[in-house]
This record gives sequence, C-alpha cells and structure tokens, in this order.
Amino acid sequence: MPQLNPAPWFYILIFSWLVFILIIPHKVVAHTYPNPPTSKTTESPKTESWSWPW
Amino acid sequence: MMVNSFSQFESPVFLTIPLIQLALILPWAFYPSPSPRWLSNRTLTLQNWFIGRFAKQLLASSTPKVHLWATLLVSLMLYIISLNLLGMLPYTFTPTTQLSMNMGLAVPLWLATVLVGFRNQPTLSLAHLLPEGTPTLLVPVLIIIETISLLIRRFALGVRLTANLTAGHLLIQLIATATLAFMSIMPANATLTSILLLLLTLLEIAVAMIQAYVFVLLLSLYLQENS
Repeated sequence: MPQLNPAPWFYILIFSWLVFILIIPHKVVAHTYPNPPTSKTTESPKTESWSWPW
Repeated sequence: MMVNSFSQFESPVFLTIPLIQLALILPWAFYPSPSPRWLSNRTLTLQNWFIGRFAKQLLASSTPKVHLWATLLVSLMLYIISLNLLGMLPYTFTPTTQLSMNMGLAVPLWLATVLVGFRNQPTLSLAHLLPEGTPTLLVPVLIIIETISLLIRRFALGVRLTANLTAGHLLIQLIATATLAFMSIMPANATLTSILLLLLTLLEIAVAMIQAYVFVLLLSLYLQENS
C-alpha cells in the first residue's frame, strides 16, 4: 500500500500541520457573530430633549 | 512494475513538485476572509452559519473549560471536511487518505486530551479506567482492558479516517473501471453499474462528511471526559 511508504511521511506530517496551524484558525476566528436579538421590554426609554446646534 | 488499484493513493509528484502541497493549500481559496460588512455575500453567510452552528452543537454539552478548545476543534472539522469533499471530485488527490497525515493529526491531539486530563485532575483521569459497579473479580482484567482501549484510541482515530476514505475511493475506482469495461460489451450491465456508481458516490459524499464529524466528535468526547 503506498500509504505505508515511509518516504514522504515526515514531510506530509509537517506540511499538513503547518497548514492546520497557520491558515485555518485565522479564517475560522475571523468569522464574527452578532448578539442574538433581545425581545422588547415594556418600559419605555427616557428621552430627554436635547438641543444640538444642527 | 504492475500498476495496481492502490496506485491512486501514492503521494503524487509532478515536475518535482509534490502535489500534496497544492492539495493542502488550494482548498482554502474557497474560504474568503470575512469582510467587516454587516451583510456579506452568500458564500460567507453560509460558512459563517455552518461554523457557528457546528461550534454551538459540538460544545453545547460541555464545561467552559472545554470551550477553550473550540477554535482547534472547529478548524479541525473544517480541515477534514473540506479535504474529504474536494477529494470526491474526479482526478483530485485526497490528503486524508494518507495514513501519515491522519496519524499525524490523531496522535498529538489524542495525547493532548490525555495529558490535559492527567495534569489537571490525575485521580479522576485514572478513575476512568475502571467503570462503576464492576464485580470485584473483574477489576484487574477490566483495568487492563480499559488501559489498552485508551492506548488504542489514537490509532483507531487515525486509521478510521484513512480506511474509510481509502475504501471509498477504491470502490469508486473499481466500479468505474467495471462500468467502462462493460460499455462496449454489455451496455445493459454498464447501465446497472453506472447506477451503482451513482449511489456509491452519494454514499461517499455522506461518508466524507460523517467521518470528519466523527473524528472531531470523538476528540471532543475524549476531551470532555478528561477535563
């Protein structure tokens, strides 16, 4: 079975770990997740009038 | 030299470039970096959804200490499932059929779960070697059996993935060869074997995804019982 050929074993090992460590977590961690939507509360927010110079 | 059915699994070298490098690097072109936009395109949305749901489902029933491993487990799942599924395309090389790669992933990760367990709670990790409620006579035998099964786990993890994918690819190649051989002689048999080939390909796609999942799931289970 060619998989048991010991010649490229170490090379494949090193290379697959390099790809696993360097490339993939960067892409996985870059995905961000927004907060889940909360239900509306019954209390109405206090809104004071402000005077901004528009 | 006789070219046997296993020759599709030789690590291919073309013009002195080992093609396994390309097979390991190019799949990540399918995963674009997420943009800071709130609404991204379909590819990014689907990948985002998949990664989030998978992480949630994998880590739902575990302690917060296990959640520290989330990045590792999710990237491992992404790694294996991408390599498996892309290997289903014709003429591609699947690096996960190589025993070297799967053992190289399985042994260190299994060892990490065991060492984490032994460092943080050695008594509890050793206690796992003896299930509760065994009769007193069976205790020495069971400890030996459990130790052996603990040690076998790394090989089982690696060899399971290798064997499943290798067997699948081999079957596809054999049945495709049979279909081709039948086409000129007995077209009816060729039709039947091509239907078989279609069903087998669908099975192999399922196996590809399932094996990746099983790998990561077992690793997370070993982690949970050890942390």
